[in-house]
Amino acid sequence: MASPIDEIYQVNDHVTFGVKIAGQGEPLVFLHGAGGLTWDPFLDELSNHYTVYAPHLPGTATSTGLENITNLWDLILCYYDLFDKLGLESANVVGHSLGGMIASELAATDQSRVSRLITIAPAGLFMADHPIPDIFAMLPEEMVPLVVADPSSPAAEMLRYVPEDLDERLELMIHQIQNMQAAAKFLWPIPDKGLKSRIHRIKSPTLIIWGREDRLIPLVYAEEFHNRIQGSELKIIDNASHLVTLEQTAEAISCIRDFLTTHQASYNK
Amino acid sequence: MKFVSFNLMPYRELPADFEGKYPSVWVTPPKTLFDPVKGHRMYHDYLDELEFSIDLGYDAVGVNEHHSNAYGMMPSPNLMASILSRKVRRSDKTSLMVLGNSLAAYNPPIRVAEEFAMLDVLSGGKFIAGFPVGTSMDGNYAYGINPAELRERYYEAHDLIMKTWNSDDLIMWNGKYNQFRYINPWPRTAQRPHPPVWIPGGGSVETYDFSIKHNYSFSYLSYFGHKYAKKVMGPFWQRNDELGADRNPYKAGYAQIICVSETDERAQTDYEEHVRYFFNKCLHIDPRIAEAPGYRTVKSLRAGLRSQFDGTQKSAAQMLKDGMGWKELIEEGFIVAGSPASVRDQLAEGAKDLRVGNIMCLLHIGSMPHWLAIKNLQLFAEEVMPHLREIYSEWDHSHYWPTGFAEEEQSGSVAQV
Repeated sequence: MASPIDEIYQVNDHVTFGVKIAGQGEPLVFLHGAGGLTWDPFLDELSNHYTVYAPHLPGTATSTGLENITNLWDLILCYYDLFDKLGLESANVVGHSLGGMIASELAATDQSRVSRLITIAPAGLFMADHPIPDIFAMLPEEMVPLVVADPSSPAAEMLRYVPEDLDERLELMIHQIQNMQAAAKFLWPIPDKGLKSRIHRIKSPTLIIWGREDRLIPLVYAEEFHNRIQGSELKIIDNASHLVTLEQTAEAISCIRDFLTTHQASYNK
Repeated sequence: MKFVSFNLMPYRELPADFEGKYPSVWVTPPKTLFDPVKGHRMYHDYLDELEFSIDLGYDAVGVNEHHSNAYGMMPSPNLMASILSRKVRRSDKTSLMVLGNSLAAYNPPIRVAEEFAMLDVLSGGKFIAGFPVGTSMDGNYAYGINPAELRERYYEAHDLIMKTWNSDDLIMWNGKYNQFRYINPWPRTAQRPHPPVWIPGGGSVETYDFSIKHNYSFSYLSYFGHKYAKKVMGPFWQRNDELGADRNPYKAGYAQIICVSETDERAQTDYEEHVRYFFNKCLHIDPRIAEAPGYRTVKSLRAGLRSQFDGTQKSAAQMLKDGMGWKELIEEGFIVAGSPASVRDQLAEGAKDLRVGNIMCLLHIGSMPHWLAIKNLQLFAEEVMPHLREIYSEWDHSHYWPTGFAEEEQSGSVAQV
C-alpha cells in the first residue's frame, strides 16, 4: 500500500485541516464518513489513478477548529478555503456517508467548485417513513450488522478490532469518540440539515453509489437522491451494505473510473 | 453541617418486571406506564414530605430537573419550588433550593434569570440557585441539544444570567448562541446581587475549576454514597488547593441515600425493598443513551476511561450488578442506614472524609410509601441532625447560604381598604 503524505493547511483564522495526499493524475478530493478517515485499500487503489486529497473533518485527527465552526454553512465555507489552499479551483469530489452529504452541499452551494460529484451512500436527507437508525445511541457491536453485508468480511473484522494494549485501546476509543463528536455536530439529532432545500442546485455530473444491502441508510434513500439530483446516475452494488467501498472495492473503483472517464465537467468558467 | 431534604419525585409503581421488560428508566420508558391518578397522589405526597421537612427545620428543601425520566418526575422543578416557596417564606430555618435548571436547555436562558428571581422574591430571599450542565440523557437525548454545543451553551447561558443579575442597567448581549437588544428582567432578585449559586457536577474536571474560580458551592450528586463520592471530592479538593482557594467545607456537598429506623435490623425491614426498587429500576439506564459523543471533554474522558480500563475503579453500576447485600450497601457507603446512632456515625465519617459541609439527604427513595418517608424525615431531623450540626461550625457558611429577609408586618392600610 502506498503511504500518503500528511500535510497541514491552516485555511483561515479558525480552522486547520490535516490532509492525506497520495497518487498522481487528476485531482480528486475524498470526504470521509462519520467513522473518521483511514487510509484503506479503496483510497489506496484510487490513488493509483488520481491525486487523492483526503482531509480529516475538523475536530478529528489532525484537523482542528470544530468549536469555531458554528454550523454546516460555516463548514462548507471552510472546505472552499481548503480548496483554495490546495490550488483547486474546481475538483472532483467523492464523499461517503457524512462526507457524501458535505460533498452534496459543496456542489449545491457554489456550483463552480465541484466539477463532478460522486456521492456514496450519502447522509443529508431524512424520510419519516424510513428513519435512519440513530448512530449516536448504539452499542458498538450493533453498528456492524448495519454497515456491512457480510459479518465475517474483513471490513467487519476491522470494525470489531480492539487493541490488546490498554493505552492503545484508550487512545483508539478516544479517537473514535472524537470522530463521532465531530460527526454529531452536523448530524445531531436527525441527519437532515436542510439539504432538501438546496439539492436542486446541484448541476455537476453526479454519480450516486449505494450498497444494495445498506441497512444504515437504506436503498430507498438512493432513489430519493437520484430523483432529486437532475441527470444523476445511480449505481447499486450487490453484496455490499453501507461500507460499500471496503466491501466491494474493485467494483466501486471501476464505477468511479468509468463515470469520470465518460463525463466531462459541465461547469466551465 | 447543613442538611437539605431532597426529593427526586420518582414514580413509585413501576411494574415488577420493569427492568427486564424495558430498556431504560430514562429517555425511553413507555409513558403508558404513567397513571395520572397515581401520579397526582405521588406529587402531593412528595410536596407534603417537603413541607413537613420545613416544619422539621431542615436547612433547605431541594428539587431538581430531569426529562423523560421515571425516577425524576420534575421536568420543571421551578413549578414545585414555587409551591414550596409559600411555606419557606414563613420559615426562619429553611431555604429553598433548585439544584437546578439545566441552563443549556432554556431558550432563551434569560428564562432562568427570571424564574429564579421570582422564586427568590417569593421565598423572601431564601433561594439557592443551582446551575447544572445536566446529564446527557436529559440534555442531548431528551432535549435534542447537540453534544458539541452543550457545554458552550451552558457557559454562555451562565455568563448571560450572571451579567443580568449583576447589573442594574438595561444590557445587551451578542453571544454565539444568544442575541438580545434588551435584557431587563422583572423581577430582580431579592438577594443582592444574586442568590448563592451551586454547581451540581458529575465529576467533570472542568467543572471543579469553574466552581472553585467563581467560588460557587460544588455538589457531587451521585446515588452511590460517600465512599464512591471520594473519587470526585478527593480530586475536587486537590484542585481547590492547587488553585489556592480556601478550604471552606460549605463550598462542597454530596448526595446520600439515608434510611433511619429504631434499630439497625428494623431499618433493613423498613427500607430494603424500596432501596432495591431504586437501584434495580430507577437506575436501569440503557447504555445506548448514557452518554452522547462529545458530552464529556477529552480531558474528562481520558481520566474516566483509564480508571475503567485498568480496573482500579469498579463502576458502581457493576458493583450493583454483581449483587450487594444490605450490609454491603452500608459498608460501601451506597446507603447510610440503621438506628439513629448508626446513621450518625456513618454520616459523620462520610462528611469528614469528603470535607463536605452540605448533604443532599435522599430520605425518600424509590418506592418508599409516604408514611415511611415521613418516619425517615422525622427520625433523621430529631435523632441525627442535631448531633451533627457542630461539624464544621467553625466555618462561615454565609457565602453559600441565603439569609433571607423577615416578612414585613402587614400594613394597616391594606386591612383598612
